Amino acid sequence: MNRRWSVVLIISLFLISVFGVAQAQETIPVTIRCKANVQGGEGWRCDNFAEVESQVEADLGVTLDLTLIQDDIDWGDYKQEFVLASEANEAPDIILSGHEDIGAWAASGLIIPIEDKLADYPQFEDVVPNLWESMKYQGLIYGVPQDAEARPIFYSKLLLRDLGWSEEDIDSLPQRVADGEYTFADMLATAQEAIDAGVIEEGNGYWHRGSNGFDWLMYYFGEGGQITDEQGNLVWDSAAILKVYELLASLPETGVTRPDMIGLSGSEVWHPAVASADQVLFAQGGTWNWGSWAKQYVADRGGNDYLLPNIGLMLFPALDAGTALTLTHPLVYMVSSQSENPDVAMALIAAVTTPDANNRHAIDSFHLGILKSQVESEAYKNDPVLSNAHYMLDYTTGAPNNPDLPAWQNAYWVGIQAAETGANTPQEALDLATAQLKNEMGDKVIYK
Amino acid sequence: MTQPTTTLDDQFTAAESRTRRSRKKSLSSNMAAYGFLAPAGFLVITFFLVPVVIIFYLSMTNLSTSNFTTDLSAMQFVGLENFRILFNDQFAAKIFFNTVFYVLVTLSLFNVTLALIVSLLSTHIERRAGFAFRAIWILPRITAATVYIMLWRRLAVEAPYGIINQVNTLLGQTTYNYLDARPWEFVIVVNGFIGVSFGMIIFTSAIESIPKDLLNASLVDGSTILQRIRYVILPLLRWPLLFVVTYQTLSLLTSFEQILLLTDGGPGLYATEVWSLTAYHRALSNYFGNAQWGYGSAFAVVLVIIGVVLAVIYMRVFRFNELVAEPKIEVL
Repeated sequence: MNRRWSVVLIISLFLISVFGVAQAQETIPVTIRCKANVQGGEGWRCDNFAEVESQVEADLGVTLDLTLIQDDIDWGDYKQEFVLASEANEAPDIILSGHEDIGAWAASGLIIPIEDKLADYPQFEDVVPNLWESMKYQGLIYGVPQDAEARPIFYSKLLLRDLGWSEEDIDSLPQRVADGEYTFADMLATAQEAIDAGVIEEGNGYWHRGSNGFDWLMYYFGEGGQITDEQGNLVWDSAAILKVYELLASLPETGVTRPDMIGLSGSEVWHPAVASADQVLFAQGGTWNWGSWAKQYVADRGGNDYLLPNIGLMLFPALDAGTALTLTHPLVYMVSSQSENPDVAMALIAAVTTPDANNRHAIDSFHLGILKSQVESEAYKNDPVLSNAHYMLDYTTGAPNNPDLPAWQNAYWVGIQAAETGANTPQEALDLATAQLKNEMGDKVIYK
Repeated sequence: MTQPTTTLDDQFTAAESRTRRSRKKSLSSNMAAYGFLAPAGFLVITFFLVPVVIIFYLSMTNLSTSNFTTDLSAMQFVGLENFRILFNDQFAAKIFFNTVFYVLVTLSLFNVTLALIVSLLSTHIERRAGFAFRAIWILPRITAATVYIMLWRRLAVEAPYGIINQVNTLLGQTTYNYLDARPWEFVIVVNGFIGVSFGMIIFTSAIESIPKDLLNASLVDGSTILQRIRYVILPLLRWPLLFVVTYQTLSLLTSFEQILLLTDGGPGLYATEVWSLTAYHRALSNYFGNAQWGYGSAFAVVLVIIGVVLAVIYMRVFRFNELVAEPKIEVL
């Protein structure tokens, strides 16, 4: 009898312990959605979470069921997916997007403020301090930086050599641009000289972006424009915008830029031509382009080994404002207001905000570091592209997290198209753009 | 004893009672018909009428990503403000006339004319060959839009990447960035090739159903192929033609996905932007994130109104009641 009771007791204790462990190891589903060109090396934006999964499980004493969704669709569609998913109560726990979305998504309650959770994780103290500014909406922090970048001018060393530049001239170019010695006008003059000398074909002197985007703000800032006032209101500086339109209108007129630059296909024409280094002298792009060029467009020529001796990066040279600049558009991890486990989401974000994790992404995709210890790490310092580009963050500008910015940008873009395609004079383009903004935004914007 | 007389009131009551019984009988006899119509009616109300009502409502709110809500009562009502902005938009007229141009040219050249030509050709050759010929023309419609547009882009893009330009280079001809130099031509051809298949199927089935007696009689009378087409076949295709014109007009008015993928309304300033694409751009896709659902809905409302007006005009002018009343071809 005693023996039988002992067996029953042992089995019961075993079952209780198993049941108890199962209870302690609660399974928590977490969905994370990232915008990433995986072929271009951006897959770590989401894949880093898989790397730290077991560590977070051990720290929190839970079992995680991670769903990682990498997507490389158009930005507009990507953002809309999140809004529609939220409408359907199917929002991911963590969404990666541009910092500018904080303005609209925080205002509509799609994401939650995380300011009070930051102190729980020492990893966040390592973030480069000025990046937190672009994570704010109405004074509260809503996101954690995932990466940063610069939007440099790429120049072809190959073609500059053909033009007769010495190695010393070529190597010193980024510094001369940063010092304001070599200006935007000088760059266009060099491009014109290359065309006249037959080094490049007409229209291939300077290529800019072919579609709407944040890059165009650099021209506005370069001409002395100001995007917001001290109260955070959007500012439409007509004088600066007119100068931008005059500059852009002159590009195809002089033959430095091809007349069909606006609307030019990126994957079919722009990237293959610029990455080859033997067709286009100057091209304004983003540091991440380097990653996709090395892995996709010139992989057959040696990838990075081909690019390094043949293409260089420099700041956006000085326009009338007199200083060289660039623009950073940090991508941000945000926590959805529909997340049932925001603390787990924050623990995961903290776990990937480390030098090791972020270096995997930065080095593979050529994005700039976001952590103080990361930019001092050997892996980061030893990367020839990143180490040549990181100084650009000292010259960076950015876009505000204002929900009305899209209307501003779209009006600005209307004028850019009108002026550069020659459909209108620069003054007419300014009038068109101003009328559009006034029609849509009225007095919400300050007109100067 | 006097016979009870019926008063006027009694007569009215009796008549009303008869009418009621008659209505009841009529209703009960029609119940089966209503029952059969109910599923279709439910679908039409749920998927056609309700969305239109919602679109009208949304167009009178300032709903955007930044004040997003699915609670209709929480949306901020702004009356006709979105329509004021729309009609003051300096590019609205250009987009409107782009749409008219796109619909008229695509419809007349491809959806009707080429569809008719393909039908006539494929029904005047050996049957199997005709079937294969038509099957090829259906390919653009059944190919996924993204794949279809990628093929066209690969054809049109500039040298050395584009196939047409590779041929141009081989022939020593000038090369172009066709999507920049000839955007409308490509937009219309790309959409037209898809549109051909619809008319082709309708016309082919109509031609195939023409009684052989008529065609044989025309042969006996010594008609040539062209005369047979002109005097026998085409008059019998009147109703299918009108149906295709009506249906395809409305279809083209709302189609934008191929334009979105091919030119995205460019190059330059709204060069190939059509009305439905603008509604999409405003309400559902914004590079910078803050999509304007309310304003985009105002564009959609204008499109709904234009579509309804055109549908009514077509139905009146083309006497659609007669079209659906009896199958004319079988009667003959």
